[in-house]
Amino acid sequence: MRRRLADFLPLLVIWLPLLINVAHVVGFTAWTTWLSFTSSDLLPEYDWAGLRSYNAVLRSENTVVAYINLVLYGVGFVGLTTLAGFVLAVLIDQRIRAENLLRTIYLYPLAVSFVVTGTAWSWLFNPAQGIQKFVRSLGWADFRFDWIIDRDLAIWTIVIAAVWHGTGFAMALFLAGLRSIDPDLHKAAQIDGAGPARYYLRIAAPTIWPVAISVLVILLQFAIKTFDLVRAMTGGGPGIATTLPAVVVYDFMFQRAQLGRGSAAAVLLLLSLVAVLLPYYLYAHWRARRERAAHG
Amino acid sequence: MPVRRRHLLAGATALAAVPHAWAQAKPRVTFISQWSSGSDGAAITGLGKRLEEEGGIWQHSPVPGFTTEMMNKLRADIIAGNPPAASQLKGPEIAVWSKIAPTVNLDPLVAAAGYEKLIPSELIGLHKPQGHWIALPMQVYRTTTLFMSRPAMKKVGADKAPKTWAEFNELATAMKAAGITPVANGGIRWDDGMKLEIALSGINCEAYRAALMKLDPKALKSAEMLEAFAQLRKFANWMDPAIAAQHYSVNLAKFLKGEMGMLMMGGWAQGVIKNLGGNLDDVLITSVPQNEGKPVFVLNADSMIFWQRKEADLTAGQQLLAKLMMQKDVQEKYSQTTGSIPVRTDVDLSGPAWSDGQREASAVLNEAFKSKRVLLSLAHNMAQTNPITAAMIDVLTEYVHNDKVTPEQGVARLAAAVDTARG
Repeated sequence: MRRRLADFLPLLVIWLPLLINVAHVVGFTAWTTWLSFTSSDLLPEYDWAGLRSYNAVLRSENTVVAYINLVLYGVGFVGLTTLAGFVLAVLIDQRIRAENLLRTIYLYPLAVSFVVTGTAWSWLFNPAQGIQKFVRSLGWADFRFDWIIDRDLAIWTIVIAAVWHGTGFAMALFLAGLRSIDPDLHKAAQIDGAGPARYYLRIAAPTIWPVAISVLVILLQFAIKTFDLVRAMTGGGPGIATTLPAVVVYDFMFQRAQLGRGSAAAVLLLLSLVAVLLPYYLYAHWRARRERAAHG
Repeated sequence: MPVRRRHLLAGATALAAVPHAWAQAKPRVTFISQWSSGSDGAAITGLGKRLEEEGGIWQHSPVPGFTTEMMNKLRADIIAGNPPAASQLKGPEIAVWSKIAPTVNLDPLVAAAGYEKLIPSELIGLHKPQGHWIALPMQVYRTTTLFMSRPAMKKVGADKAPKTWAEFNELATAMKAAGITPVANGGIRWDDGMKLEIALSGINCEAYRAALMKLDPKALKSAEMLEAFAQLRKFANWMDPAIAAQHYSVNLAKFLKGEMGMLMMGGWAQGVIKNLGGNLDDVLITSVPQNEGKPVFVLNADSMIFWQRKEADLTAGQQLLAKLMMQKDVQEKYSQTTGSIPVRTDVDLSGPAWSDGQREASAVLNEAFKSKRVLLSLAHNMAQTNPITAAMIDVLTEYVHNDKVTPEQGVARLAAAVDTARG
């Protein structure tokens, strides 16, 4: 009896949470997908409306603006965060004093929620209250920094706030990668006469390339999911200039109570996530196979 | 399809009701709203107290925050077959929601009170969507109120409010030249949306009714509409550009000091100014300009819908509450607390408990009521259902913040958005 329980327990521990997770994630994903093909409005309906919701969502100006913004924001946020994270990691890697303190300071923004980040930065960016007013009060009377009210530049204020938030995270991963490089490699490079710039660009960077890929993918899925930052910082404005796909989903689903259209927008969001993650999965798969081939 | 679901829900409600059915208890009202604090909270609490004085039990579950959060809770309760006896709900959403769950027929009570003759017909339609009264309005606000900063007027030597948009534009230009921001505004969607309804209602009352209330395709592309968009562009250029995604009240201090000239807002701003410690003597409260020279009243109303319950105590509570809500004294108390005006047009506002702003709005409502010039507010979800309103406001807020869009393009985009939202 005891024997059988011991056999059974691991299965229970593994399968029960797995089943619950699958039921949650797959179940609700399937439900949402189903609703996206129905004429659901205030309450779910289970009829067949074909692609009607998708047509409506894709024709709406908000969706178009949201996906253009996603590209700008995605490239800006992921690119700048990766770059800044790498530079910080390299600087901290110099065995400097107070490393722990600095690392904590850089990581600290990650502990702040997006809502707080967004609210604080919305004050900083507001020309009547924040940076612009401060610089002007120092005596530079025509200083201008009003991106948040400029509909063409407002999306970059979101990028800046998000970069501030995410850089510490990228730095931590890069630093772990740098520290995992064999110290002998560093010494060998130094003996061969490679300066620090050469070492980091030609030796360290290629070695920690897989870390960079992970950072990119994690940041990119962060970018696609971004919702609260925009909501707290600009409310999607000026106009609809800083709206993002996740904001559009919320808007259809809960503001307008159009479950069908909201679901369609959510499925489109899921597809854009898949479009990012699938290449990564294929790349990982390809790498694993190549390594097996090399060892075999 | 809706019929079947409705029966299911009714069945579920009946089942839930069985254990209580025998109880001969005090009339009881369960109620959901977003009114948890401020003057709204105080007013609804006052109504609850009144119900208790009449021997009832008042059980209010506020869902603070946005109206949509309250609606999500209401939807969950309805799906679970346990709707509150009454809930907050307004405008055309009353008709939409009445299709997803059974409601209470209030016709006998309304007839007994002789209520239909006393309130604007626009409101009657909203509250009896399928020919029966199922909801009641609680209070009325005018969304087209013009607040003028007296210090700002003094700076440019103006002594009276503009009567037409031409006069308004002249005054705003003078204010701009004197270094005053002419339009005190907020940066939130509905605020931008309101500005178009203000412009159009002041240009032509019937054009507003046809375009924004009936969504007549021709009216949506009419010359009046184009004129309204051109006026909206002028507003946009006179607004405080620095206000990003902030509430209009952020600017009230500057407005009272005379650094900003004119605030076009609903009557509730009066209460907000008072709460901020502002002196209402610094403010001239009147109607926004009207080119036709006749009063027009763009109306926003808060309402309550009554959901069908089988329990004897709840049905008795609903009857009692509905009766109270139509009474003059109850409406007076409610409006005095929130700064609105009563739904009934036969209330005397000359007493000291009312402000000049309320008296002026009430006088305009009475005149507009008689001349059939009452309109329903678009930006405050009175003219259209939420999906259509939201699609229209998208266009308007984008137009306000993007001066590259011409008035012609604005008109075309609004008409297209209406098409898409309906399709």
